Amino acid sequence: MDAARFPVPPRRRVLWCAGIVAVLFLALAAVVHWRHGAGLRHELLALPPDDVTGRPALVRYALAEAQPLFAARCASCHGANGQGDVSNGAPSLTDGHWLYGAGRVSDIERTILFGIRAGNGRTRNLAEMPALGQAGLLQPAEMRNVVAFLQSLRNRNSDADAAAQGRATYAGKGHCGDCHGADAKGSTDLGAPDLVAGKYLHGGGAQELYESLFLGRHGVCPAWYGVLTLGEIRALAVFVHEAAASAPAAPAS
Amino acid sequence: MARHASALPLLGAVVGLLVALPGGLLRPAERPPSAVPDGAVALVNGRPILFDDYVEQTERETALPFRQATPAQRARVLREMVDEELLVQRSLALDLPENDTDVRQALVGGVEAQVSAPVLARPIDDTALRAFYNAHRADYATQGAMRVRNLLLHVGGYADADQTTSQAMEDAAEAAYQLRAGTPVAAVMEHYGFTDAPKADAGAQFDFAAKLHLGDALFAIADTMSSGDVSDPVAQPDGVHLLLMSDRRKPHVAGFESVRAAVYAAFRKARQADAQAANMLVLRRGAQILLAPGAAE
Repeated sequence: MDAARFPVPPRRRVLWCAGIVAVLFLALAAVVHWRHGAGLRHELLALPPDDVTGRPALVRYALAEAQPLFAARCASCHGANGQGDVSNGAPSLTDGHWLYGAGRVSDIERTILFGIRAGNGRTRNLAEMPALGQAGLLQPAEMRNVVAFLQSLRNRNSDADAAAQGRATYAGKGHCGDCHGADAKGSTDLGAPDLVAGKYLHGGGAQELYESLFLGRHGVCPAWYGVLTLGEIRALAVFVHEAAASAPAAPAS
Repeated sequence: MARHASALPLLGAVVGLLVALPGGLLRPAERPPSAVPDGAVALVNGRPILFDDYVEQTERETALPFRQATPAQRARVLREMVDEELLVQRSLALDLPENDTDVRQALVGGVEAQVSAPVLARPIDDTALRAFYNAHRADYATQGAMRVRNLLLHVGGYADADQTTSQAMEDAAEAAYQLRAGTPVAAVMEHYGFTDAPKADAGAQFDFAAKLHLGDALFAIADTMSSGDVSDPVAQPDGVHLLLMSDRRKPHVAGFESVRAAVYAAFRKARQADAQAANMLVLRRGAQILLAPGAAE
């Protein structure tokens, strides 16, 4: 061996070779990981939305993908844990009660895609809470009676006369049953909350209920179609679905 | 040196193998044979039909959860959706947005709905509502109503063919004095030669109807009268008029609470109009609009 032509010691050459091989293996691992992710991404969208939850690997993938998306896009209204926020009327996503649909992945995905009262043609926008007071449709005393009636549904009112009058207003002049149902249990076709379960978007206290009746409510959920990819939207839908399925039962507001 | 020279090709072989493995030996991600992108159920001339829309449409048409819809049902829905997409694309090829007023209106409506959505979502402050009412009180004035009798004395009437207008005015003034003193109308009319004016309506009528019947000049006088008043003589081209106001209800601005619904609706409409105007401003600022010589906007 001619040491003058090969000045690098043998041991260092071995280390160089080992380093190159290590880098190449890392590159290989990254490629494998990317292709695996691409495969999961494809499979997540290839399945009908309601079939995804039957694939644990896909669910895990979706949860991992959706976690930062939820934090960045949804938490500002719905809360970091999806618990909702009565100050802005954003519903809880984990209490098992849904304004629209039955809480399936497809139902949730539809809401994320096209929003609620978001202005596009496919948005959910069949009804809104009218400003019964502001528009002069009900008088203050009538609204107070309706509040008494609503609170009586959850055994929180002691004025039976007011509740009875409120019930009459609910069924008659107020036309409340047109959306919330004659039994006040809401309508997931119209997005009208269940008033018996106490799922009030803006709070269930007497003052909050009165304000809802007086001011009306016209909450907006933005449409994410065109903003997020279809894969991201699917992942978010699975994320919300799983969050609701795994959350402990929450007390009514 | 010979040992190192033989090691280099071996190293190169290993590197080459590592580069080749991802493309060949490892199992590639499964891909369907078609080129339909993920999240779509079909591609029509390159335009996707969303799988979510397909699910929604199937459930709506079959009234069944998607899973329970039969393959035949799903196929029918998909065929309809493909047909619709083809027709939409055909409409663009036919330039319907340019030529069909219904299509244009629908497109305009769609844009306006998007502009209005966030505006309508904002709750309305009651203070703002009252301020709007105060700024537009005239819009909430109720219609006045009157029951007025319009008596006419033809100049040179049958009793005195040589009567002049000034003489007729004197007669009418005397008649007005008599009426104010309580003399029955029929007697005054007969004595001085008055008749009911044509188009006169002695019944109760809203101000706008009264204006039509009386004309602008006589209505302006009637508008100042109260119940029981008799006007001074008014010379008109057809003769001298006397107005007898038996019942007058002047217009008044309705109280806020009584017109809340109208104020609320008008306020929302005004908000929408402001949003649309702002949107048009933005669109115009970004647009290149050329007008032909002589044309003006």
